[in-house]
Amino acid sequence: MDSLRVAVVGLGKMGLLHASILKMIPNVEVVALCDKSSLLLKFVKKVFRGSQTVKDVEELSDFDIDCAYVTTPIPAHYPVISSLHSNKVTSNLFVEKTLADSWDKARELTELAETCGGINMVGYMKRFAVTFQQAKNLLNQEIIGAVSSFDACAYSSDFADIKKGSKRSGSRGGVLSDLSSHVIDLALFFFGDFEVSSAKVESMGEGGCEDAAHFTVKKLGLGGQFDVSWCMDNYRMPHFGLEIRGAKGTISVDDDKVELMLDGESKKWYRHDLDDSVNFMLGIPEFYREDKHFVNSVLSGKITDLPFLTASKVDYIIDQVQKKAM
Amino acid sequence: MANETERLLLVGDNPFHGISHLSQERARARNEQISFTEFAANLVVSSIEHGANGFMFSVSETTLATLQTVQKRLGNKPLALYAIVPYAYEYVRLATQLGPVGLAKKLGQKIVLTGNLQAIFNGLKGVIRMDPEALMKTYLFYELSRIKSSAGKHMNIASVMLHEVVTDMLLALNADWLIKSFIDFLSERKMKPGFETRNFVYLVSKFKEWDIDFSKIVIAAPFNKVGFQMVPSKEECEKALAEVPESTTIAFSILAAGYLELQEASDYVQTLSNLKGVAVGVSKEHHARETFAILEKRLNGSKAS
Repeated sequence: MDSLRVAVVGLGKMGLLHASILKMIPNVEVVALCDKSSLLLKFVKKVFRGSQTVKDVEELSDFDIDCAYVTTPIPAHYPVISSLHSNKVTSNLFVEKTLADSWDKARELTELAETCGGINMVGYMKRFAVTFQQAKNLLNQEIIGAVSSFDACAYSSDFADIKKGSKRSGSRGGVLSDLSSHVIDLALFFFGDFEVSSAKVESMGEGGCEDAAHFTVKKLGLGGQFDVSWCMDNYRMPHFGLEIRGAKGTISVDDDKVELMLDGESKKWYRHDLDDSVNFMLGIPEFYREDKHFVNSVLSGKITDLPFLTASKVDYIIDQVQKKAM
Repeated sequence: MANETERLLLVGDNPFHGISHLSQERARARNEQISFTEFAANLVVSSIEHGANGFMFSVSETTLATLQTVQKRLGNKPLALYAIVPYAYEYVRLATQLGPVGLAKKLGQKIVLTGNLQAIFNGLKGVIRMDPEALMKTYLFYELSRIKSSAGKHMNIASVMLHEVVTDMLLALNADWLIKSFIDFLSERKMKPGFETRNFVYLVSKFKEWDIDFSKIVIAAPFNKVGFQMVPSKEECEKALAEVPESTTIAFSILAAGYLELQEASDYVQTLSNLKGVAVGVSKEHHARETFAILEKRLNGSKAS
């Protein structure tokens, strides 16, 4: 394959962002945009000149699509992906995180992808941040020896001002699938599979929405704990961080820097010290990098770094947290 | 205000938005908001007293309240304003909660409440036809009226700038017609249209292709010694800057998000003669004093220290 004809399904902020970035990647043509809102389609048709707009996923089968981006709200991932497969639109799929709104559906989508073939990927873009990649390199080199424990956090102030009784945070689905899925994916990236030992989920507003969570995980020789909340003060920009303790030292990593503590000495790498360059930046460099990775994978027919099978493990951990917290 | 040969030294508002200033109870929240506005205004005034000649800010409730306080403090001392729209953080947050259509409805309600008939008329036309140009003009009417009502008569709206996410998205979409419409709208109102971007090289190349007059616009882009966020590279950004001497290009991120010392950061800026100014955020009063005293001395040759 020399070039790609792409469709984007779901034109919220992530859909518009990916569609814009895709237009900047060589050999990619955004041929169709799909959303349920007629009003939005009318607007988008005028801005994305050269792309067709459709209201239903089934209509995409008329466009000879090579791959599709699914950027709808999470509960719509399952029906949209199922429909893309059943209508034979394409089996090459990029899906914004999380893969589905439940572990059962994520498992079904993974099985469906294996049956239908194709290249697939879930958008856990933190893996494409240079600092987290540097931490992974250090872990691969076993610089801090055998890892014994870690603390992971994901904080934002998105609902710091939420009032008792408010259902406002419910519009985003819950902090587990929204914010913490990134840091769960990073922990799986760093340490491989683990199981949830205990969990506590808190709702600040009303309606049982997940606003904060604390949970512990374990695997042979390793224990970890997660603290996540979108009701924190002072986190206008979301913060994701891990502190990893090994037999010989520690690694602390977040979006901006990696710090290695070894034999009482500290070595730091900031984004500036790592190769953080991209050809086009919209938002943060990670978005361009993950889109380029997916496009290259489809063009070359190679499996992505984050296929449904790998990414569905996040849905599994979220499911375990929810069950343990009951 | 800066004269033709002086570099623009703009105090930026980014640190203001990173400070938590809300609490649970309404009365306490109001008190904290007042004290925060005072604090932010102090930083702006202090920066101006020590060499800054303009204020670059995202148009939000917080910065407009700050602007009102600054205006009272400065009296009839002139100040150039570089206003960035939209305040992306707030709009992205609302778009996530309400969806793009819900966000548009909420904004529409706010515009109706302003009572600006021209804006309402344009807005109606825009909604009926889903016309991006009419909707953009309505939005700009709304933001201009907010800025004007907070800025005093001694403050000069030197430029209204498109936020980087909007600029860069329009570049990706090849939307020259919308960019030209933005330029015309502001030029007709005797304001310089501005573009904040993280893709300076690409912007320069597209604007040349679209025959946009660089002497009539402001561009704000990252420039720093270590090439932080200079896309696709420091060398290519410097080369593109050399090609547009007529543009009012303002550097931000000169400290590379705190990675560089001010001295070395300003040494680098000095090497780029086509940079017409810098925007730097400050979060403490002594930072404001030191930063702008040093920038004034090193970039504009003042004897003050």
